[in-house]
Amino acid sequence: MLTLALALLALQAPSDALEAIRARGAFTWGADEEGGGPYLFPDPAEPSRRIGFEVELADALALELTRELGAPIAAQFAQGPWDKLPDLLKTGRIDLVLNGYEWTPERARDMAATLPYYVFELQLLTRADAAGASWEWLASAPPKQVGVLGGSSAESYLAQRCPTLELVSYDGNTNAMGDVVSGRLDATLQDLPIALFYRAEFPELAFTGAPVAPGRYVIYVRRGEQRLHTALDRALLALRTEGTLRAIDERYGIWTAAQENTEYLSLPAASDEAAVEAGFFARYGVPLLESAGMTVLLSLLSFPLAILLGLGIALGRLYGPRLVAWPLTLYVEVLRGTPLMLQLFVLFYVLPNAGLELPALGAAVLGLAVNYSAYEAEIYRAGLQAVPVGQMEAALVLGMSRRLALRRVVVPQAVRIVVPAVTNDFIALFKDTSVCSVITVVELTKRYNIAAMTHPSDVLPLAAMAAVLYLVMSYPLSLLSARLERALRA
Amino acid sequence: MIRVQELTKSYGAHAVLRGVTLEVARGELAVVIGASGSGKSTFLRCLNGLERLDGGAIEIAGTTLVPGLAPEEEERRANALRQEVGMVFQQFHLFPHMSALANIVEAPVHVAGVSPAEARERALHLLERFGLAAKARSRPDQLSGGEQQRVAIARALAMQPTVMLFDEPTSALDPRRAGEILRILDALADDGLTMVVVTHSMGFARKAADRVHVFHEGRVIESGPPEEVLVNPREAATRELLELG
Ligand SMILES: Nc1ncnc2c1ncn2[C@@H]1O[C@H](COP(=O)(O)OP(=O)(O)OP(=O)(O)O)[C@@H](O)[C@H]1O
Ligand SMILES: [Mg+2]
Repeated sequence: MLTLALALLALQAPSDALEAIRARGAFTWGADEEGGGPYLFPDPAEPSRRIGFEVELADALALELTRELGAPIAAQFAQGPWDKLPDLLKTGRIDLVLNGYEWTPERARDMAATLPYYVFELQLLTRADAAGASWEWLASAPPKQVGVLGGSSAESYLAQRCPTLELVSYDGNTNAMGDVVSGRLDATLQDLPIALFYRAEFPELAFTGAPVAPGRYVIYVRRGEQRLHTALDRALLALRTEGTLRAIDERYGIWTAAQENTEYLSLPAASDEAAVEAGFFARYGVPLLESAGMTVLLSLLSFPLAILLGLGIALGRLYGPRLVAWPLTLYVEVLRGTPLMLQLFVLFYVLPNAGLELPALGAAVLGLAVNYSAYEAEIYRAGLQAVPVGQMEAALVLGMSRRLALRRVVVPQAVRIVVPAVTNDFIALFKDTSVCSVITVVELTKRYNIAAMTHPSDVLPLAAMAAVLYLVMSYPLSLLSARLERALRA
Repeated sequence: MIRVQELTKSYGAHAVLRGVTLEVARGELAVVIGASGSGKSTFLRCLNGLERLDGGAIEIAGTTLVPGLAPEEEERRANALRQEVGMVFQQFHLFPHMSALANIVEAPVHVAGVSPAEARERALHLLERFGLAAKARSRPDQLSGGEQQRVAIARALAMQPTVMLFDEPTSALDPRRAGEILRILDALADDGLTMVVVTHSMGFARKAADRVHVFHEGRVIESGPPEEVLVNPREAATRELLELG
């Protein structure tokens, strides 16, 4: 009887997160190091060490839990992509999400939110030398270009308040600030702690207007982990009254008056008003369709370029003089050996330093074309080599020049050989367009990610819709390539 | 029309041609015979600049090839001589992505600048002459070996060359088809074309050749009219070749 009870206890124990944390002597908090300061970043003095106000908060929470549970508890950091942290939480890989996550009714329906640990506001940043910059100026004609973190509260705030603005969606914060300095953007709206933290690094930027739209950073735990939830709330309350929270904030220069705004120190009553939102399709249909259009545009513009470049490179490598062939070999190896994302980054963020500024769409098309040209070149090289030497000789013997023989005899045969590989690559490129979101181009995958992040409860229908859109676009492509192959073989 | 002097050619350490000297007069049909590996194909490839020579000299249709030319000059001369010299390969090398007609029209239009209509006219005429009128639209892979061979000959003739080189034009064919090809070559000879034909067919050599040249280990060991060389050979190697053939 006793053993049975013990066994049952043992079975039940891991299902309670707090109990599991006590047993392990640690809780795992998920965050994304890429987000940077002041949340979580490598210590400049010792880059293998992580610092940041959320690191210190996690350690302080560990101390509180140690006191509460009467057993030593440590804070264990787990790296995860910022927008995927809720998924990591739900699958049990982490115990809590602690990484500048705002309280929103949608998230609160999906996960359990603790008391706020920080009240953030949004700060408008403009170039210090832009005379007359203000919120009114921002709303005035001509339309201004404003950089925001994709899917952030800044994005939805601006979309509602100033619909005339042209919003440019970024993956990170400092890139948007850099682009305001360089003049690519007119302004950026940032979470205040970020603006404060990077103030010294961007002396060219000015804080314009008072901070707006306060919101709460909260910790999320899995729904139903009542004991862990209560323990964390109690710990947060203790840290606030003891002054520990304020001390941490002050160390990172992000303490603001809003931290004492009592209205924001608790959570709003859960209301169902969000449920009155517009229907699913009205909310997501148009933006998803629009971004699907961007996916098609990127593919259709970049792939023909990649083919032309690739063919030229393959011909140069096979038939050009060594002085031409050697640099082309280097080109192919470098492009195949580095990730597309890095190449896009260089085109968009590094080239402007050399005086070559490309618009985001231009950089995306060029980046995809250049990257894929290396793969096309290798396919064509193999195709050209697969054409028997006798074909070139027969053409030469008829009095053709080498160039004419290539154009009329060898290349047309190589094209037939490579068609299956090339259409394959087109479908790969089609899907690779999603990488362009790192340079602010919002295509289907990015749009899906943003929507899924702000409305976690709609993830399934959203994913289904995105998948259907991809299929609807790529299926005709497969049909087309099959027809092409048949036509060429005939 | 063709004068070859002390032509040498090696692949690495392997000396394939070791001093070939022979002459072919205008309008003459020269037949080259010799054991397998004696360098006959290599010799033909040298004649139209597909292989670079190591030593000696070739004078053909007004162009001179010698070793050590700059690559561009070599390319220029090879291209110049090919305007006058046609060649039919042992494996034909028809362009598989074009119809028989398009194979023949290709060079006149894109190299010689003949109008497409006229080139087509001429091509159809050649096909008719070779009994291939019905096959104009067929792709090479839809043609028999003999038909492919005749299309390859028509393709070369469409450029109106003054010299034609043939590498074993009958080796891929059964005796009946081989006979047809040989009749075509006979007819071309009557038209006054200068021809060099590599063959293993002693019958053809006997009937059609003006002169026969015997290759042995990269040299011409014997040259003369067929009734001399093939009936009363001077060299032991020639006798051996004739007994085997
Ligand atoms: N590209 C090459 N590289 C190296 N060796 C070669 C090459 N082409 C030909 N040879 C060699 O040169 C020699 C002569 O070849 P060639 O084709 O001229 O002979 P052939 O007289 O035409 O013989 P066959 O009657 O069998 O066609 C052979 O030993 C062959 O192996
Ligand atoms: Mg041969």
